[in-house]
Amino acid sequence: MTWLSSRWKIAVMVVPALLLFSVFIAYPVVYSLVFSFTRFNGFESPAFNGGANYATLFADKFFWRSLGNTAIIFVVTLVVLIPLAFGLALLMQRRIPAAGALRSLVFAPAIIAPILSGLIWIFILDPHVGLLNRILGQLGLPEPEWIGGNTLTPFSVSWVYVWSQLGFAMTIFYAGLQLLPAEVLEASEIDGANGIKRVWYVVVPMIRETFIIITVLMITGVFKVFEIVLVLTGGGPVHASETLVSYTYFITFSSQRYGLGMAGAVIVTVLGMIVGLAYLIVARRRQVA
Amino acid sequence: MTAAITRARSTRARGRSQAYAIPSSIGGYVVTLLIAIPLLWIAFLSLKRSADILADPLSLSGLSLNNYIKVLGSLPLAQMYFNTIVIALVAVVVGAAVSYMLAFALTRMVFGRRRVRSAMTYYVLAGISIPVFILLFPVYRIDIALGIFGTYLALILPYTALTIPFTTLVFMGYLNDFPAELEEAAVIDGAGLWTVCVRVVLPLMRPVIATVFVLNTVFIFNEYAFASVLINDPNLYTISLAVSSLKGEYAIDYGGMMAAATLVLLPQLILYTIFQRQVIGGLTVGAVKG
Repeated sequence: MTWLSSRWKIAVMVVPALLLFSVFIAYPVVYSLVFSFTRFNGFESPAFNGGANYATLFADKFFWRSLGNTAIIFVVTLVVLIPLAFGLALLMQRRIPAAGALRSLVFAPAIIAPILSGLIWIFILDPHVGLLNRILGQLGLPEPEWIGGNTLTPFSVSWVYVWSQLGFAMTIFYAGLQLLPAEVLEASEIDGANGIKRVWYVVVPMIRETFIIITVLMITGVFKVFEIVLVLTGGGPVHASETLVSYTYFITFSSQRYGLGMAGAVIVTVLGMIVGLAYLIVARRRQVA
Repeated sequence: MTAAITRARSTRARGRSQAYAIPSSIGGYVVTLLIAIPLLWIAFLSLKRSADILADPLSLSGLSLNNYIKVLGSLPLAQMYFNTIVIALVAVVVGAAVSYMLAFALTRMVFGRRRVRSAMTYYVLAGISIPVFILLFPVYRIDIALGIFGTYLALILPYTALTIPFTTLVFMGYLNDFPAELEEAAVIDGAGLWTVCVRVVLPLMRPVIATVFVLNTVFIFNEYAFASVLINDPNLYTISLAVSSLKGEYAIDYGGMMAAATLVLLPQLILYTIFQRQVIGGLTVGAVKG
């Protein structure tokens, strides 16, 4: 290959990708970082203001609210999404007629645009026109304010995230289970308390890596929950259901405090990077093992 | 490990002749139905008049296709699909092409200084961990500065760039996995760089190219944040922008909104049904490989 590797040939090969990457990814990251330390409203020229934007955010109760809501989605992901996906994968690998068709149906929400998922769920969760409260009403049960209220809204947002990711996580679990010897899987098919114990002590340790990968994938996704909130509640009432990303988007594009918005974006990115770093460490350990 | 898998397969094949697990089957069908209910529900509502949706959404009377006729007359769905397909196609193809060139150079070509090569590799691969949200505002300013705001390019160029880190990573992994003997033979036969890249190596990459195409296309079809910031001309609206506008456009016309949502959903589900093997394979490949 050496005589095909003249300096200009290498340049021709690498420059298009590096140029696009530099202009639309690397430069914007630096730009955001720099402008996060300025006061900038788009009209006046930006003025350097030290860490004032970060101080403003940390003193902003809506920012903490959005962090708290993101934490709720995070916890629901760990406590509901992952166990549910694992249970479903165990169920799906049993002898079920047309199991393949079921699996692809369960996966379907993963390919739907998040913005559309949000729109669809309005008609389930809306306190007045939604299916859920219609059914509860018919049964004579109380009809809670699933969206639009102060308490339940973040949980409803979490649930729509669970719905959209469940099939995806299940599919990865399923693929992981397929690599186990059949005897191990049969151990999980004995029902009752005994079966659960066997799953916990035999199956779970054997697919630990799959668990780690799914956890990291799903958690990374938590920091990107945005469109669901936007359609479902618009972040309201009064920012009560914002996530970090949706609140940052609001600061930047609705109230046009660009410097402050960039500071928010930097915080989201750093939090996401910490998770990404954890993933890299795990992945490296996996290669060694 | 291979022996274990073979054994697992043979045991499972024997198991297939056994009876179905009835309680599990019921459980599996119930869960699947629960997951599908939201989709079935909007399809059902799309057949009803808005007044009926408010008064008695569960009733089965008065179903008609009127909402669809109305929506197809007022919503330029064909234009929105056309926009999305043009943007996705160009971004995915160009992104794959430049990523392939970069991955080929980084894995196969001989650099004068090795440090240059590893610096380039780390530089691009670091992009994988960058979330799109930090890029939104700067890219908006860049689009304006380049004079492409308000054109297809406003979205095509950032989307192309966004596909580069992951695509390059996948291509490099694939190229590292197979030996360079074939190319070396071709080079000895007098083949130039173009022939080696396009005629010799590219055909071998078909499966991984398919994976990358599927993955990036799904990403672009569903992407909303960039589209909402970089497109403000309704003639250039993508599908996800169309969806977000439905809430305002059909504010009180729930039947119309549901018909429009179904019309956006249906082609996606049909395409998914046709390509489900590639889609599921593509989306899960990174997670289960290894």
